[in-house]
Amino acid sequence: MRTNSLLPRLLIGAYLVVFFGYLLGPLIVMSITAFNSPSFPKMTPWECLTFEWFDVLARDERILTGIENSLIVGVGTVILSVIMGLSGALMLTQIWPKLRATYYTIVIAPILIPGVVLGISTLVFWDRISIMLGMSTGGILHNGIFLTILGQSTFIASYCMLVFIARLQRFDTGLTEAALDLGATPVQAFRKILLPFMKPAIGSAAVLAFLASFENYNTTTFTFGKFPTLTIELAQKVRYGINPSISALAFIIIVLTIIGALIHEIYRRRQQLALANGAPVAAVSGGFQLPKIFRGNPAAIILVLLALGGASTIWFSQSYSPGVCKMDVREQKRLIQEERIKEIRAKRQLELQQKQLKSPDSSGDIKSDAPVTQSPGKGAFGNVFDPGNLDKAAPKSETEKPAESPGKGAFGDVFAPKNLDKATPKDD
Amino acid sequence: MNIAQLFRDYFVKNGIGLGTFLLVAVLFWVVILIILPQLSMLDFSFRHHLPPPEMGGPKDTYTIEHYKYLVLGAPGADTSYNVVDLGVFGRTLLAAFFVTILDLILCYPLAYYLGQSKGGGFIRLLVLLLIIPYWINEILRAFAFRIIFGDSGLINEVMLTMGLISDPIDFIRANVALYAGLGYAYILLMIFPIYNVIESLDRNQIEAARDMGASWWRIHWRVVIPYAKPGISSGCTMVFMLSAGALAAPQILGGPSSLWFTQIIYQWFNTGGNWPRGAAFAVVLLVACIVIVLGMMRLFKVKIGDIGK
Repeated sequence: MRTNSLLPRLLIGAYLVVFFGYLLGPLIVMSITAFNSPSFPKMTPWECLTFEWFDVLARDERILTGIENSLIVGVGTVILSVIMGLSGALMLTQIWPKLRATYYTIVIAPILIPGVVLGISTLVFWDRISIMLGMSTGGILHNGIFLTILGQSTFIASYCMLVFIARLQRFDTGLTEAALDLGATPVQAFRKILLPFMKPAIGSAAVLAFLASFENYNTTTFTFGKFPTLTIELAQKVRYGINPSISALAFIIIVLTIIGALIHEIYRRRQQLALANGAPVAAVSGGFQLPKIFRGNPAAIILVLLALGGASTIWFSQSYSPGVCKMDVREQKRLIQEERIKEIRAKRQLELQQKQLKSPDSSGDIKSDAPVTQSPGKGAFGNVFDPGNLDKAAPKSETEKPAESPGKGAFGDVFAPKNLDKATPKDD
Repeated sequence: MNIAQLFRDYFVKNGIGLGTFLLVAVLFWVVILIILPQLSMLDFSFRHHLPPPEMGGPKDTYTIEHYKYLVLGAPGADTSYNVVDLGVFGRTLLAAFFVTILDLILCYPLAYYLGQSKGGGFIRLLVLLLIIPYWINEILRAFAFRIIFGDSGLINEVMLTMGLISDPIDFIRANVALYAGLGYAYILLMIFPIYNVIESLDRNQIEAARDMGASWWRIHWRVVIPYAKPGISSGCTMVFMLSAGALAAPQILGGPSSLWFTQIIYQWFNTGGNWPRGAAFAVVLLVACIVIVLGMMRLFKVKIGDIGK
C-alpha cells in the first residue's frame, strides 16, 4: 500500500506536525505567557517564573462580574434553546410534508446568518416593540440579559435541533404507538418513552448550548446592555491594553477544557467497552473500578498526571517567590541600560571631537546643520561622518535608521541634534 | 389531506396540552426570534435617523438614504461613490473567500487521512486535539495570535535573536495575523463535514481506481472529491459566512488601516450612533452572503439540506 513506503509516511507525518502545530501552538504559547513576569504577555525573553497574574485575575472585579453574567445568560440560553430545539426537531417529523423543506430552511438559517446580524435584529426588534408598547427604556425589553438570552437562543436552538434530529432518526415510533394503544395519554407516552430515549441527546445539547453561549461574542456585543458577559469583558481588555492575567484566564480555561474532554473520552470508552461485552451500560457506569480504568486507558493516566501536576504547581507556587528573580532581572536591565548610556556617551564624545576638528577649517559646516530638522539622517551627520575617520558600520546604521523613523530607538533619538541638550542632563 | 384534518391529527397524536406546547415553542422560535426580528431590521433600515421621541411621528417615513449612503457616500463628498465603505465591503468578502480557500487546502488532507484510517487510539487522540481549541473562547484565540504576531511577539523576537531580520516585521499591519487567526477560528467547521462524508466512502472504490492504474491526484479528482462534495460545500459555506461576519478577530488582529465590514456596522451602532444606517449595512451584508452562498450551491449542485449534516 501507499502508506507503507517511507516518503509518503514522512510527508504525512510532517503535515500532521505542521497542522497540529498551527492548531495547538498558539494555545501553548499563550499558556506559557501566563507564567512570565513582564507586564505585557510575552514568551521571549523569559524573565521570571511567576504566579502573580493569577492573583491579578482573581482580584479583577470586572472579570468576576462578567463570569457571573455569563453563567446567568448561559443557564437561560440552555433552557430556552433545548426546549425550542427539541420542539423544533419533533415538529420536523410531524409537519405537513409540503412545508417541510421551507420549515427546515428557516430553522437552519440562524446558523448561517452572521452573528452580528442576529444581534442587531434582536436589538432593533425589541426596541421597536417597547416603543410600540410605550414602555420606558429601563424596562425588561431593554434588559441586557433578557436580550442576550433571546439573541443567543435564536441560533443556539438550531445547533440543539441538529443534535436532536440525529438522535430522533434512530427512534422507533412503534414504541410510542404501542404505548398509546395500551391506553397511555400522549403526555405519558412522551414522558415515559420519548424523553428517556432523548436523554443523552438532551445532555449533549445542553453542554453544547452552554459552551456556545459562554463564548459568543458577535451577537452579545449588540445586546448586552449593562450586563457585559465574560467574553465582552475579555474583548474590551484585549483591545485596550493587555496584561498576562488574560493569559492566566486562558490557561485555566484550557486546563478545564482538557479535563472535560478527557472525562468525556473515558466515559465514552467505558460505554463502548460495556456495549462490546454485551452488558447494559448502567451496570458498568455504576461503580468506579479504579484498576480497570487504568489498564490501557491513556486518557485516565493523562488525567491523573494532570491532577498531580496541578497539585505540585500549587505547592510550588506557595513555596516559591519570584521576588528575587525579579530583582535580578531589574538589575540586569539597569546594567544593560547603563551600558547603552556609556556607549552613547562615548559616541557623542567622539562626535564632539570630530566637530571641533572640523569646524575651524570650514565654517560652512555649521550652516549645513540647520536643515537637519527637515530631513534627519541625510544632512549634517552624513557630513560629519564622511571623512571616514569612523568605522564604516556605525554611520551606515545611523544614516538609515532616522530616515525611516525619526526619533525611534535609542540612537536615532540621541543623534538628532535637537535632542542633544535634552538628553545630556539625563545621562549625567 | 386538508389543513384542518392535519391539525386534528396532530392534536390527536400529541394531545391538546403537549401539542399546544410544541406548537407555541416552535412558533415563538420561528416567528418571534427568527422572522420578525429580521423583518423589523429590514424595515428599520429604510427609516430616517430620528431621536426616540419622534419615532412613529409624522417624520418617521420610509427612505433609502442609508443604502444611497453606502453606494454614493455622503452628499457633497469629493468622490461620486462611497469608495471607503464599498472598498471595505469588497475587501471583506474577498478576504473571507481567501480564508475559506486557505482552510479548505489545509483541512482536506487531514479530513481524508482521518476518514480513511481505520480508527484506533491515535486517530481518536487527533480528533480530541482538534476539538479542544474549538472550545477556547474566540477572544482568547485571537489574543493568542496577537502574542505570537505582535511587534514584540514571539516570531519577531525569535527572528531578531537569530539575526534573520534587523527590524520587527509588522504582521498586524500586513494582515498576516488576521488571516491566520480567522483561518484558525473556523478550521473545525471545515474539517468535520468533509471528514463525515469521506468516512462513509467505500474504500473499495479507491482500491478499484488504483488497480485500474489511476494516479493519486486522479483518484482524488475523480473519486474522492466528487463524493465529498456535499461535505466540502457545507464546510466552505460555514467558513465563508462566519469569516465574513466575524467581528472579534478583525477588532483584535486587524491592522489600523484595514477595516472589516462588520466593524463599520459596529461603529454605526456604537460610536456612530446611527442605528438605521447600521441596520441597512447589516442587511447588505446578509443579502450579499446569502446570494454568494446560494450561487455557490447552484454552481456545485448541492442542496441546503446537506448543510449541518
